[in-house]
Amino acid sequence: MSIALLQIENLAVSVAGTPVLNGVSLEINAGEVHAIMGPNGSGKSTLAHVLAGRPGYEVTAGSARFDGMDLLALAPEERSRAGLFLGFQYPVEIPGVNNAYLLKAALNAARRHRGETDIDAFDFLTLVRAKMHTMHIDDALLARGVNEGFSGGEKKRNEILQMLVLEPRLAILDETDSGLDIDALKIVSQGINGLRSPERAVVLVTHYQRLLDHVVPDRVHVLARGRIVRSGGRELALELERRGYDWLLEAVPEVA
Amino acid sequence: MNALARILEDFGSQPSPAAARLDAAQALREHSLPTRHDENWHYANLRALESIPRFLPEPSTDTARAPPMLPAHLPGFERLVYLDGRLDPQLSAAALAKLSAVNLRGATGTASPFETAGDGRFGLLARMFAPQPLAFQVRGTMALEVLSLISPEAGANYTELSLELEAGARLELIERSCAIPGTGPGLSGSVLGCSALSLQQHVGSQLMHTRLQQVAGNAVLYDTVSSRLAERASYQLRHLAAGGASTRSSVQVQLQGPGASVDVRALAAAQDAQYCDALYTILHEAPATRSHLVFRGIASERAHVACSADVQVTPGAPGSRVLQSLRGLIDGKGAEVNLRPRLTINTDDIQAAHGATTGRLDEDLLFYLLSRGLTPAGARSLLKWAFLSEILGALGPAPLRKAAESAVAARLSDAPAAELLQ
Repeated sequence: MSIALLQIENLAVSVAGTPVLNGVSLEINAGEVHAIMGPNGSGKSTLAHVLAGRPGYEVTAGSARFDGMDLLALAPEERSRAGLFLGFQYPVEIPGVNNAYLLKAALNAARRHRGETDIDAFDFLTLVRAKMHTMHIDDALLARGVNEGFSGGEKKRNEILQMLVLEPRLAILDETDSGLDIDALKIVSQGINGLRSPERAVVLVTHYQRLLDHVVPDRVHVLARGRIVRSGGRELALELERRGYDWLLEAVPEVA
Repeated sequence: MNALARILEDFGSQPSPAAARLDAAQALREHSLPTRHDENWHYANLRALESIPRFLPEPSTDTARAPPMLPAHLPGFERLVYLDGRLDPQLSAAALAKLSAVNLRGATGTASPFETAGDGRFGLLARMFAPQPLAFQVRGTMALEVLSLISPEAGANYTELSLELEAGARLELIERSCAIPGTGPGLSGSVLGCSALSLQQHVGSQLMHTRLQQVAGNAVLYDTVSSRLAERASYQLRHLAAGGASTRSSVQVQLQGPGASVDVRALAAAQDAQYCDALYTILHEAPATRSHLVFRGIASERAHVACSADVQVTPGAPGSRVLQSLRGLIDGKGAEVNLRPRLTINTDDIQAAHGATTGRLDEDLLFYLLSRGLTPAGARSLLKWAFLSEILGALGPAPLRKAAESAVAARLSDAPAAELLQ
């Protein structure tokens, strides 16, 4: 029996002493796409950031294993190099650090981790330009500061560009669809679908069914009040679209 | 005996000083040196003066010494070279030949209000002791580098330079204060460097001025710049402080003619227990004048960085525009950054924007970079470099920018990756 790429067991997390996640358990296999949905404040972004190692979150119970490793014991940069990618809901702007430099530094960090040599400058540009073409991103953005002056849609496309260049084993995309118009949503979805492979997995944190029209998930989970209250196939997302979350929340106690 | 008393005593031991020097000494006696109680000197390290063993410059000697290795010549620039405060005529020959026709023969003016009642009092000190005050007029187009090399074993050294740009003249001026290459750190005591630069720009003249301080760790520098601009004259100042135990720069710019403009981009990078303090005073005295001041400072470990920006718009300067942005980065438990923005507006019709922020590295930015696999040290270094890039990127020519980047990189607690340096 193969081991799941990501195994989360009974994960409990507090922020500044307030419990946010209260016993989340989840298994994601390589090759799968999972969607995590839920009402505002249910803990979706917290789960994404805890898995990526953001400081400020206290894991009070449970475990998370990624590719057989104790994920929670790794520093954020070690998680990245091991193949975990977090697509930010609000990508930061970093004036003075150009996109090309960051992409290359990130790619080389991953390559060194795998025991490979740094990528050649020509090969890097060839690779990045091909991915930029996929994401409909203008070449000129390479020389600009990271997300500096980008529109909301450009920032989200830039996150997916980074993901495509890094080719992570597990991509956790935190509301990557928010703020996108229909055309941009299609482009971003195309990028996500481009990463799908039997070796990789994707977690989509989203509020809306519309992303799932383009990136069809294998499993859909509803996170509410700090725990997963329902899991199902794609039909669950369609049901949520029709009925909202109240019918699920009625049976879920508040987080202690 | 306090520093002022010792300065005056040393001055009195000189045989028959010139009248301008006597006037300067008299002005200093009357107005005294600034103290921490003076608002614009609160963060300056004036105690460093007490560590100066002797204020008289070392007498010139005939002993031939091997010429020091100089930084590479900047293409197209004439060069004036000071060695421990003395102009080297051989190394400066080409520049002097070009400038001699308009040499004002070392004439020095009377002390200005900036030097007496204001913050330019260290300019008086330079005038009292500078062995070779120089004054030049600049016509047409010229590129001039003033290179001041200070050895860690030097005594006190002083320079005084006046430049007058005639109408329509264009001058690219680079001032560099460096440790003499090949010498080690000073064995004992501090080295005093004190310079006064007076700039006068006539109608429509343009001055691109870059100052780079990268002296040795035992140097204590006080420098004064006084600049006056006539109608439509423009002054671009790029100022980098990245060396010395303690530095203080006092810069005053008077926009006296309509349409005159000044653009200042300043950077200070300090580490260990360095003090780095600067004051920029900009006076809008005529209509439609423009000023833009950007300062970025990083203090690492136990260093102190301070910047005061004092912009005054007089009633006679309607239609003026003022932009001011001061930012400081604290990068050590004992480090300190003090920013003092001040904007005094005495007329209704102006556009002004200003901001000042001080803090540590943004945790959100740091996490973003870590989440992309960068090491904590690499991420910190990248963010610091990004913080400074606005100033470093505005530097030219390329060899100078490279030297500036190396000097700044050496003052950061996390060295930037080699490919970030130009």
